Amino acid sequence: MQQAIPYKSWPLPCIDATSHRARSTTTLGHNGRGKDVLNIVSENAVIVLARKGCCMSHVVRRLLLTLGVNPAVHEIDEEDEAGVLNELGTICKGTENNKMVQLPAVFIGGRLFGGLDKVMATHISGDLIPVLKDAGALWL
Amino acid sequence: MDFPSTQFVPSRMMGTYEPIHQIGMWGENFKSIGNPSISASVIVEVDNKLENESETASHEMPAPSCKHDQEASKPFDKIQRRLAQNREAARKSRLRKKAYVQQLESSRLKLIQLEKELEQAREQQGLYIGGGLEAGHLGFSGVVNPGIAAFEMEYKHWMQVQNRQLGELRTALNAQISDIELRIVVENGMSHYFELFRMKSTVAKADVFYVMSGTWKTSAERFFSWIGGFRPSELLKVLVAQLDPLTDQQIFEVCNLKQSCQQAEDALSQGMEKLQETVSATLAAGQLGQGTYFPQVAMAMEKLEALVCFVNQADHLRQETLQQMSHILTTRQAARGLLALGEYIQRLQDLSTLWATHPREPA
Repeated sequence: MQQAIPYKSWPLPCIDATSHRARSTTTLGHNGRGKDVLNIVSENAVIVLARKGCCMSHVVRRLLLTLGVNPAVHEIDEEDEAGVLNELGTICKGTENNKMVQLPAVFIGGRLFGGLDKVMATHISGDLIPVLKDAGALWL
Repeated sequence: MDFPSTQFVPSRMMGTYEPIHQIGMWGENFKSIGNPSISASVIVEVDNKLENESETASHEMPAPSCKHDQEASKPFDKIQRRLAQNREAARKSRLRKKAYVQQLESSRLKLIQLEKELEQAREQQGLYIGGGLEAGHLGFSGVVNPGIAAFEMEYKHWMQVQNRQLGELRTALNAQISDIELRIVVENGMSHYFELFRMKSTVAKADVFYVMSGTWKTSAERFFSWIGGFRPSELLKVLVAQLDPLTDQQIFEVCNLKQSCQQAEDALSQGMEKLQETVSATLAAGQLGQGTYFPQVAMAMEKLEALVCFVNQADHLRQETLQQMSHILTTRQAARGLLALGEYIQRLQDLSTLWATHPREPA
């Protein structure tokens, strides 16, 4: 039997000491937003970028948890939002999606997957689990 | 609502009477004479005049000109003056109350009249009201939200098209038409549902609570409502039973679809719970009972904006489920499925009507 391989732990740029959230959630500090976002996105098999207290990100997270994936959730403060979205916009220009990145944004395998819409549609069509498996977020 | 012209009941025991025709006089007095003290004296004068006319012997009210015997009648005067003032105050109060009640009753009549006119106008325009004017339709000023009015009109039309399409499906399934033609009928049916989701999205921006409460639907439909519409997994249960025979592959795929639906629904439901918690916490922040709470309410409103997203996501889920079903099924099965779905909804609507009209035991 194969052993379950834990996620590679990623260096946290700034941990919010008063955060009550699960361990896998971080809150961005005020220094170096864009680069940290890039790092975090590439270091996690599945990560959800969301505004603080966003109920939609809760929906995404619950759905992924049901499928057996424990996604990292990265919360963005309101003031950092514009900067982060800009940064994401430059990353994603290379891919097919030239649309504005909307929050919550799900990244699978280091690449932008889409928003809640995309996750739902992909799950209903039965394609989400294969995508997650490919990215190494799910094992049998 | 005419008052009798002159009708008063002298009541010597009380020392008072009620000249009803005086209401008009009160009104004139109060309107034309801005100075309250002057009007008060007018009232007193009028009152004295009337009292003098009605009373003959044992006059309780001393005439203002009656100044003799002042030494002996001073305390008597004081008491009498006080009694008279009390009578004045009581009379004024009774008249004010009468005027107020009169205003209320005429407003009520006007309201009933307006409601009737509104219903007639709406029926003429072909609007579907869904059980009379409900408080939810009326904004704070009592004016119907135009987004809602537009939606109701569109929905009535949507139902008419829906019923027509169901008839076409029935005919098409019974006739021997080609798969290609049947496909067109199926596509029309699907597009029609997608059109409804678009309509709902628009009206959700105007008033999300309207969509959430399912006001435009019949009561039995509302009973099954989940985030402003049907639960996709429930619909699948209804459909699958109607679609025999399915191949093994189809059964497998439908099972997967049902499971995915269920998972997506659960995620959305949990998100809704989180939203409720957030709004509740925001609203209750700070101390309750202090009186000032507007910042909390304003913040709660911001959080509540997310409800529009939930409605949109739920409809998106419904749409994706329908799409996926149409991929799994053959054209013929899809046609039967659409017909089954449409007829199921019709049965729900008939159930609502029957329920509303069936006689009940008196309470």
